[in-house]
Amino acid sequence: MGTTNRILIPIALLIFIGGAFTVAFSERPWAPRADVEQPIPFSHRVHAGINKIPCQYCHEYARVSATSGVPPVARCVGCHGSSLLGGIEPITQPWTDTHQPPFEIRWNRVYTLPDFVKFVHKPHIWAGVACQECHGPVETMDRVVPVHEINMGFCLKCHEQRGATQDCFVCHH
Amino acid sequence: MSDGLSRRTFLKLAATAGAATAIPGCEPAARKIVPYVIPDENIIPGVPSYYATLCNECDAGCGVIAKIREGRVIKLEGNPNDPISQGAICARGQAALQGVYNPDRLGKPKRRLPDGTLREISWEDALKLLNDRLAAAAKAGKDRVAFIGASQGPTLDKIAVTWAQAYGSSRVAFWARINDEPARAAADACFGRRDLPVYRLNQAQAIVSFGADFLETWGSPVEQTRQFAEFRTPRDGTNGVTIGKAAYVSPRMGLTGAKSDLWVAANPGTEGDVAMAVLNIIASQGWLAKNAAVDAEAVKKFTAAFDPASVSQRSGVAVDQLNQLAAWLGQADGALALAGGDDPQAYIAAYLINALTGNVGRTMVFLEGAPAEATTRPEEVHAIIRAISSGAVDVVVAAGGANPVFTMPSEWGAAAAIKGAPFLVWMGEVPDETAAGAHLLLPTHHPLESWRDSAPRAGVYGLGQPVMQPVFASRPLHDVLISSAQNAAAGQTIAWENAQDAITSAWQDLQGKLAPSANATDFWNQALRTGGAFQEAAVTAVTLKGDVLNTPLAPRAESRSQFTLVGFPHIFFYDGRGANKPWLQEIPEPTNQIVWDGWVEVHPETAARLGLQTYESTYLYGGINVLEIATPSGRLELTANVTPLVKPGVLAAPIGQGHTAYGRYAKGRGVNLWEYLPAGSRAVPVTVRVLEKQYKIVTPLGKSDMMGRSIVEAMSVEELAAGRQPEIVREEEADTPKTAYEMYDPWKYPGHKWGMTVDVQACTGCSACVAACYAENNLPVGGKFEVDRGRIMSWIRIERFIPTAAEAAKAPNLYIAPIMCQQCDHAPCEPVCPVFASHHTPEGLNAQIYNRCVGTRFCENNCPYKVRRFNWFQAEWPEPLNLQLNPDVTVRGPGVMEKCTFCIQRITTAEIDARTANRQLVDGEIITACAQACPARAITFGDLNDPNSAIIKRRLENSARSHNQGRTYTMLPEFNALPQVTYLRSLYWEKA
Repeated sequence: MGTTNRILIPIALLIFIGGAFTVAFSERPWAPRADVEQPIPFSHRVHAGINKIPCQYCHEYARVSATSGVPPVARCVGCHGSSLLGGIEPITQPWTDTHQPPFEIRWNRVYTLPDFVKFVHKPHIWAGVACQECHGPVETMDRVVPVHEINMGFCLKCHEQRGATQDCFVCHH
Repeated sequence: MSDGLSRRTFLKLAATAGAATAIPGCEPAARKIVPYVIPDENIIPGVPSYYATLCNECDAGCGVIAKIREGRVIKLEGNPNDPISQGAICARGQAALQGVYNPDRLGKPKRRLPDGTLREISWEDALKLLNDRLAAAAKAGKDRVAFIGASQGPTLDKIAVTWAQAYGSSRVAFWARINDEPARAAADACFGRRDLPVYRLNQAQAIVSFGADFLETWGSPVEQTRQFAEFRTPRDGTNGVTIGKAAYVSPRMGLTGAKSDLWVAANPGTEGDVAMAVLNIIASQGWLAKNAAVDAEAVKKFTAAFDPASVSQRSGVAVDQLNQLAAWLGQADGALALAGGDDPQAYIAAYLINALTGNVGRTMVFLEGAPAEATTRPEEVHAIIRAISSGAVDVVVAAGGANPVFTMPSEWGAAAAIKGAPFLVWMGEVPDETAAGAHLLLPTHHPLESWRDSAPRAGVYGLGQPVMQPVFASRPLHDVLISSAQNAAAGQTIAWENAQDAITSAWQDLQGKLAPSANATDFWNQALRTGGAFQEAAVTAVTLKGDVLNTPLAPRAESRSQFTLVGFPHIFFYDGRGANKPWLQEIPEPTNQIVWDGWVEVHPETAARLGLQTYESTYLYGGINVLEIATPSGRLELTANVTPLVKPGVLAAPIGQGHTAYGRYAKGRGVNLWEYLPAGSRAVPVTVRVLEKQYKIVTPLGKSDMMGRSIVEAMSVEELAAGRQPEIVREEEADTPKTAYEMYDPWKYPGHKWGMTVDVQACTGCSACVAACYAENNLPVGGKFEVDRGRIMSWIRIERFIPTAAEAAKAPNLYIAPIMCQQCDHAPCEPVCPVFASHHTPEGLNAQIYNRCVGTRFCENNCPYKVRRFNWFQAEWPEPLNLQLNPDVTVRGPGVMEKCTFCIQRITTAEIDARTANRQLVDGEIITACAQACPARAITFGDLNDPNSAIIKRRLENSARSHNQGRTYTMLPEFNALPQVTYLRSLYWEKA
């Protein structure tokens, strides 16, 4: 074995092992992430569970659009800034103390669909699919974590049961 | 290292490891969700909104509907309310989006330093500099400020005039090299009025165009294409089925000649003489209208210098053909003569023919309340240029895309004069040749970002609203002018705050005129919603001026030169303004199929005379000869494109290329013809020399010959009327299955079954469908290099074939048809896919599933229609071109096959809308982008399972006329692919 090999083999191995590790320990970009921290300690349990605010009060575009929409900050202030709850709630005080207007909230994405998939919320809502069927019991969670991995098998299982379309082209175009 | 790890093995290992490392390197899509703080109540993320506005790509004044997603315009469609566009727009209109998002737009004001470099400055500094220079000029005297711009509609033009007045100047020019002046001068000579006539092509039975390429750039192409398609659609005449007869007199065939029955190849510049000879024959044959109130002798005397024999000699048009044209115009029940080009005599001759055959008031009308003239007369513009070169002007403002340095005739010396002005201010979008010499460059809003109005003809008042927030730190041109005017010498008050204010007050005045009793807010809102105010203007009776026949016209001198160079406006670039839009560069010019370049058309006979080497297919080889053409204003070099679609002895080259600035897409391609063409003419005698040099012009075209196969079919009107099948014998006919045979059970389509019918007779090859597809489906633009390698990505293309000498007698002038995926029932692409990426949907589409595709390209190889496209390269949308992308359509990466989807995103959206509203889909609710854009309405899309759909009706109508299938055919039937796309044959009159 020549000197070249003594150098080349370890380098090749090192790159290979490094690559393999990266693959093994990286999450698939489209897989649900259980570890998503949010910039503010917003609780779905308090809002949707205890106070029974309907999902679509905040995620208002779900019935008309592809995206369900994350509520604008104005929607939060609608309640938290009103006399209904006695002015700014103590819970939101730290946020308004430390942030300057326009109070842009940069949420971390919990669900990501891969490219080539066109998911539209609208027909699912109108077909009477409950939000929880895909998103799990969000009203019991303080911080939302995915319950189901939203992959094609998951979609198709439901489409099969409900007799919905199984035409590839409807979602993949 | 024979026994150990070889270099090759190392590379393999390293590549695997590298790939493994790279996978997680694919960054996931945006990980953040940032909602609005305060939502815009008019924006629902994911749902488009639509605004009516105006297209500003030419002077036709088409109304458009802009589709807005999340605050960005992503598509333009014709406005169905607008009487001019009636729901369609051309390729140039579609590409207006690439003007908004052009990556070469000036982002911030810039000023030129003494060393010639440009430095960014703030708007405040820029305006101060501008106003100081203007004030100094105004102080120095009267008329020391000049404005050269393109006309932007009646109200905005008024602002420019007011601004100049504020600085004590009347030197305002609304300049366009291609202008209406010849038409207006002729109307003045014939009828004593300078407004433009309105043509009704669909009410004629015969149309003869003397040099007006009305299907490409002349006049109002979208409207004329629609009317022409109507005129050429088979209808029941007195002797059975008939279509209108059309002839085009021009040295170059072009699309207008291709779609006419007769292409009369006249010598350049003799179109007017031919028209006069035709008038002469009409008079001598006694075909003048009874009520013409002019006696034939006077007409004969007037046209005495244009006897058929001498005109035939000068123009190269046979006397028989002249007689034929005269017979068509003189005998048809409703005829129309059109004139084009820059020669007022041709217009006079055409107007006289229309008037004397009783067609003024019928196919050619003058309307009451015609709008004021938009462009300044060329001689007045020339006077301003002379003033600038004599040093009588201190500040020149070149604005609004007029680009005088590029377009003005070289004998005016405009380039030197304007660049030599003491202070040149350029205001515009993409810095052009005029900006290259400017001292101050100000970025202005694109028309789609600003307010405007239009008055294309009497009764049509278009209103253009900004459809989105500006992309760059630009300002509306007329806001800048108003603020600058307000800054002028005290004591003058400007009536408006800004351009929007000017538009609203103009529309208040308009309301007083049109609907005085209406509520002002309602009128304004209605105009905003519908895109303007549209009324049917009354036709004015006009009479021929008594002295017109007493003013004899002189025959155009015969050119003694062996060769003549003819410039024709490129269908996409027009006068040069379209050249910076990558779609327009990438879409092949329909008759030559050349992309990204300039060329000169040379007839094979001329080529032989020049000793040019010709090839069976000129493009497949390394390059072809460059010609050196010597004109009186200098020499130019262009690559020869040998084609029979031009008259022998004529060298025809497209106008619009040859930019030395104007952005990365326009720069350095071909030659700027405007530099070499004399003022008031588009033809110039030249001498030609073949250079040793070779150059490759690029085309996606394979062959110009159909090789006897059934791709684009035609039949004669006589055959259609008699119910006969066309006599064309196709080589593969014998193999064509007589009945559809099925090896497996046929597909079942329980719901919808999408299909399309394309009327080849209506299609003019204008390529609006191609541009619409680029916009709708995020088609990547490859550039010259990729197209040369066969990698053009268009899902729909205009295929054109030249009839061979053998079939010319029984064929239209050119075979032209759009070809998109035929969505076959027996799709050859489907069974060959090893991974089921191409599959058959329950609605009859041949789907391509990108995420399954592994790029074997078997499907492409097996497709007889060549409609599948493979992504060989990483598509690029330099910012901000990416903002135009349709979010409903996946952007494909390299290694993936793609193809026409029948706009599946539109189908899915409509189906979801119908389902959630608990109703059935309505026929016409879904329309593909190509069908929507088509000005000729050649494409019908619909549900073949719905017996009442428009597509079924169109198919039945065209089969019902005769005992057989009538005009219906499917492309390449011998493959038994059973396409869902059917075509309707093109028609021609049997040549006597």
